[in-house]
Amino acid sequence: MAKRLLRIFGPLILAAILVFAVLAMPVNVGFRHVSAEKEKQAAVSLSPNVLRGKHIKQEALKDGYVPFFGSSEWSRFDPMHPSVLAQKYKRNYRPFLLGARGSQSLTQYFVMQNIQGELRNKKAVFVISPQWFVKDGTRKDAFGFYYSQLQTAEWLTHFRTDAIDRYAANRLLQMPAAQSDHFIYAALQRVADGKQLTNYQRFYLQTRKNMLTQEDQFFSGIDLPSRNLSRVNQQAKQLPTHYSYSALDQLGGRLGREATGDNPFRISDKFYKQGLQKEIKMGSLKGFQKNLSYTKSPEFADFQLCLDQFSRLNTNVLFIIPPINSRWQKYTGLSETMLRQFDQKIHYQLQSQGFNNIVDLSDKGDVPYFMTDTIHLGWRGWLAVDQRVNPFLSKSQSKPHYAMNDKFYSKTWQQLAPDDLTQYEQETK
Amino acid sequence: MDIKETVLNILNDLTGNDVSGVMDDNLFDSGLLDSMGSVQLLLQLQSELGINVPVSEFERSEWDTPNKIISKAESLA
Amino acid sequence: MLSFEPYGNPTYFALLGVALLPLMIGLLYGKRSRLYETLISVFFLLLTFGGPKWTQGVALIIYILYEVALTWGYAVYRRQKNSGPIFYLMVILAIIPLTIVKVTPAVDHGQASLIGFLGVSYLTFRAVQTMMETRDGTLKNYSLMTFLQFMLFFPTISSGPIDRYRRFEKDYRSVPSREKYLGMIQKGVRYIFVGFLYKFILAYYFGTMLMPKLAIMAMHSRGGFLDLSWPVLGYMYAYSADLFFDFAGYSLFAVGTSYIMGIETPMNFNQPWKSPNIKDFWNRWHITLSFWFRDFIYMRLVFWFMKHRVFKKPTTTANVTYIINMLIMGFWHGVTWYYITYGLFHGVALVVNDAWLRYKKKHRASIPHNGFTQAFAIFLTANMVCFSFLIFSGFLDKIWFTK
Repeated sequence: MAKRLLRIFGPLILAAILVFAVLAMPVNVGFRHVSAEKEKQAAVSLSPNVLRGKHIKQEALKDGYVPFFGSSEWSRFDPMHPSVLAQKYKRNYRPFLLGARGSQSLTQYFVMQNIQGELRNKKAVFVISPQWFVKDGTRKDAFGFYYSQLQTAEWLTHFRTDAIDRYAANRLLQMPAAQSDHFIYAALQRVADGKQLTNYQRFYLQTRKNMLTQEDQFFSGIDLPSRNLSRVNQQAKQLPTHYSYSALDQLGGRLGREATGDNPFRISDKFYKQGLQKEIKMGSLKGFQKNLSYTKSPEFADFQLCLDQFSRLNTNVLFIIPPINSRWQKYTGLSETMLRQFDQKIHYQLQSQGFNNIVDLSDKGDVPYFMTDTIHLGWRGWLAVDQRVNPFLSKSQSKPHYAMNDKFYSKTWQQLAPDDLTQYEQETK
Repeated sequence: MDIKETVLNILNDLTGNDVSGVMDDNLFDSGLLDSMGSVQLLLQLQSELGINVPVSEFERSEWDTPNKIISKAESLA
Repeated sequence: MLSFEPYGNPTYFALLGVALLPLMIGLLYGKRSRLYETLISVFFLLLTFGGPKWTQGVALIIYILYEVALTWGYAVYRRQKNSGPIFYLMVILAIIPLTIVKVTPAVDHGQASLIGFLGVSYLTFRAVQTMMETRDGTLKNYSLMTFLQFMLFFPTISSGPIDRYRRFEKDYRSVPSREKYLGMIQKGVRYIFVGFLYKFILAYYFGTMLMPKLAIMAMHSRGGFLDLSWPVLGYMYAYSADLFFDFAGYSLFAVGTSYIMGIETPMNFNQPWKSPNIKDFWNRWHITLSFWFRDFIYMRLVFWFMKHRVFKKPTTTANVTYIINMLIMGFWHGVTWYYITYGLFHGVALVVNDAWLRYKKKHRASIPHNGFTQAFAIFLTANMVCFSFLIFSGFLDKIWFTK
């Protein structure tokens, strides 16, 4: 009987041991190489798997790709999109688009955790969407969608016991996604309390991290969506052979005119007709953003996490603040004053800590064909971005000098009324 | 007429074949008998031999060759 | 509270392995512990119907009590009397819950019924079958406890295979010899591993990776004749492959687990893609369901029609019953135009198939029969089936009726 049982279960047990051994191995075997074509595809794929993973990102960033952190604007591919321009004019950098609809500062902070080596002393681009800074900050379901155990486990193996990481742990504990692994959850509680991890927790996290890293290496390259890459190639064909700002500006105007038709917001007709038109006719959107404010939000503290991470890694970052289509803004009643105040508040947070590379486009909401839809850059908007991104990335920049301040994690800062900004500056100097 | 002969007649009639030479062939596998044919068989057994077989008694594997059908019929008569 | 889809993830299988180990040792030494079997059944039922799905759990308990009362009541009644109308009434009562569950989404804007739970149809099949055999007198020693075990046998509760009371009872009341049981373990383990290949690799490839892409492509290529395009054809094959590997994989898990528990639950699939005709296909595809329909609907209807001489010709009887049988199967899947059309399609296919077989029998000499015609028949059958699955998938509904 024993012999027969061994014949039945022997292979099964052996297979289980082998699988566990391969996954838990601390050294990486095989599958290291990511082809140039795959990197190209991943850089514009906007795939959540790429965002959550590590290997592909890491390899691409080593090969001259630059991280472009942001959210939904990346999916607006037209000929002036940064990825298209960089490819067509053979720039010495290629954008690696990180983020998609719903990804905000907290997600980006954890995305940075397993590409630290590739961010250190390098450059990056970061688009700050004013829409992130709503009353409740990042949506729990959106955060959960992009949540990566791999990134959390990696962060937990190198966190520091300071205000920054304590805040991050506390914030993560508020998210249902953190409960997807009981051990990680318990470890986060210790970090939030300012304690060190236990030996067992360290061992578990190390093993878990190895397993997830192997999994990521084996599987994250499978089935990368290729639709966006073909879009980029398609859009690149419309561009003139040689770069000329005036030619591109004209082309942007022409393409914008062709795409927008005569809808009331002068935005892409395709976007307008997808649902917006119906609601406009019903009048349900008129004035609906009257009471919306982007000036008090936990997002300010989440954003500080990203800044601190950049400072720790000495990353030189170009920040972009996109405008809001001004016709749309007026129609929905979104307050002009509030938007200006948001701009002041975010500027203060950036500049007071030494982040001075800011492309503030917030006053360009009424430039024709600047926005492809209500809140997303397009045509001339992308071109304006390129005017700053290209020199920033192509030429060498002086070293940044950051002076970080933990006060930006405080509830006071998160909820600070914009009118009190000057006073706050004075008091906290 | 004995049971064996009657059953064979019914089967020859139902299948349109002479099954007396293939007494141990599976009639379902060869396509000579199907669900419809089985029900007809049961009804014929009832009318010609007075054997009452409920449909749930009809376990295919016990009724799939002429020999098995004959012995089943004999045991139920 | 943890909650799992049956056979849904590695943790479920790990728990299953741990739970089955004592049971396996017991069976190897000729012991079957009812208590332990009941305990692990309750545990796995809690995993499936507890936690966030507790409403389903409540529905299951009420449903089981209801069906037990009906079958037990009928078994007691049947020992004394045997009236037709009472039998029909009991069957109708037994299928009322299922009918409500199936009709609710159609009349209530796609809302699922409150009394529904995963596996309600498969349990109804088992209860109705028990009742019919009680009526026929073939099932004489109805036991309440065995019936409960039969209904709540956790490996097959959610989606079959549909076992039969008498067959289950025979296995359940006995312990296989060590030699035989070792063979069953071996088969069980093999089934589960083939199931992994089917469900987690092949079904994943076709269903999760391929199908959504083809669906998007097909939606974008609308506008041609009937909005059809090449991607629709691709979708048809990918969907068929996904349906097969997903369900066959699940069935292998259920059968494999049963075997390890010493119960020889019947197989659900037997190489369906090599059927030379549609009739043979239904002997190989979702076997326990199609045999259930054959034994408890088709044969009984035919029997009734012939006994009362409703139709003159036996072929008419067969044809009408085919259509009724397959229409009922269509309705059982759900009250939507595509499920019903799917049923009708298969009913008609069976009628045509029978006519062809009769024709072939008559003209045996003039119709060639060789390797090539055999291959052609298999090819034709497989494609017909895939086409019927395209109807079944509801994708045509999406192509034609969504904006």
